[in-house]
Amino acid sequence: MGRLSGHVAFVSGAAQGMGAAHARRLAAEGALVAVNDRVASPALDDLAHEIAGLAVPADMADREAVFAGLQQASEHLGEVDIVVANHAYMSMSDFLDHDEDDWWRVIDTNLGGTFWLIQAALPSMRRRGAGRVVIISSEWGQVGWPRATAYSASKAGLISLTKTLGRELAREHIIVNAIAPGVTDTPQLQVDADAAGVTLAAMHEEYAATIPLGRIGVPEDIAAAVAFLADFRMEALVGQVVSVNGGSTRTRA
Amino acid sequence: MSQRVALVSGAASGIGRAIAAELNDRGWAVLGVDLGPAPECALSVEVDVTDTAGVARAVRQAEQQLGPVEAAVSAAGHYAIVPISEIDPSAWLRMLRVHLGGLAAITRAVLPGMVRRGSGSIVAITSELAIGGGDSDSHYASAKGAVIGFVRSLAAEVAPQGVRVNAVAPGPTDTPLLAADSPWRAPEYLSTLPIGRLVRPDEVALCAATLIEELPFCVGEIISPNAGAVI
Repeated sequence: MGRLSGHVAFVSGAAQGMGAAHARRLAAEGALVAVNDRVASPALDDLAHEIAGLAVPADMADREAVFAGLQQASEHLGEVDIVVANHAYMSMSDFLDHDEDDWWRVIDTNLGGTFWLIQAALPSMRRRGAGRVVIISSEWGQVGWPRATAYSASKAGLISLTKTLGRELAREHIIVNAIAPGVTDTPQLQVDADAAGVTLAAMHEEYAATIPLGRIGVPEDIAAAVAFLADFRMEALVGQVVSVNGGSTRTRA
Repeated sequence: MSQRVALVSGAASGIGRAIAAELNDRGWAVLGVDLGPAPECALSVEVDVTDTAGVARAVRQAEQQLGPVEAAVSAAGHYAIVPISEIDPSAWLRMLRVHLGGLAAITRAVLPGMVRRGSGSIVAITSELAIGGGDSDSHYASAKGAVIGFVRSLAAEVAPQGVRVNAVAPGPTDTPLLAADSPWRAPEYLSTLPIGRLVRPDEVALCAATLIEELPFCVGEIISPNAGAVI
């Protein structure tokens, strides 16, 4: 019996990287977990099988698909009472050169998609009388980053969403918090390295040099914080952003 | 296998006692440091945390009897609501010495061993008032704010040596530090809190224990179980 036995979680963006780690950790704590990604894939199916959960492909930027996905999860696993909004679309560009449609795709996916996801999950949380929402923001949403206006704005928007929903929903025992991961070793890092024209190892080293702990994060570091914020024994932590970054910002929120 | 050892100051009551109990439940041998006896602890030493030499002696005793101190939580506290013009020098000094001095004394006692072993975790209990401030809380908020500055700087300094330093900033918590007639217990105040009630000591304890055991990539972080008082 884990601390999340009897609970049902929905993790978006879970085919790989951090989302897959969150799903594995929540399942290890006893939750039934629906794993989502934008499209169906063998990786998503394999993960669902591995953790005895359910694969629910859906594009979080598509409100109808999000609602259908939550309904599917609740029908198969039971009423969802934990949501981990982990999905993200990343695109970097000089501000003036950033294609406008692509710029909005970042915002609509990361910020808008999380908004729909929480909206879709609220009815089942209300029926269960309690819920936990963990929003994955980013260090770049706290401190900004050059050539990442869309991504940083979307992640900063998630922090404001966390604070507001923290206030709005706490009386219903629906507790909303966020995590701001620092640089973490996920497949996205290889994409960033390719874009910057450097090797993955060089990118690891470059980032690690800026982190007091001397290493970048691993997905399991972030997943441990997700499990903590999904803990139903605690309500006093609400509307907060927990930074998990090896000391790179030391709580500048 | 021998138990891992944690120091908890203020372990005789309130938040400190809850942290000692939580760590005890998780299998730690706890050195409790307080002005009076600490019941949840493997070893209870009665000492004032402002007494640097006394804290160091307590740590040496624990290391002889229990083993190396691998985690330390500075929870000894002292609270008073006083308008600024009524805070006299002794009240001001007492507030700074207990909160900032207590954390510094504990750090002096446990840090050398942690650095030598290349691992360790220090958690300071600060306060929501250090972040949001409060009416007639200037000396308390000053002391707790200083704790945050200390934590962030020490965190940056010793993380490369494997020692993680973090803080927990609770909101008003249901402990003996809040008198029955405290304004923090008034229904009008509680109704302004998003969760509508005081923080429970066990919630703060869960945060502290989680920082020690489960969040290896958190450094210089402040976790705020404050009932939504400061968002």
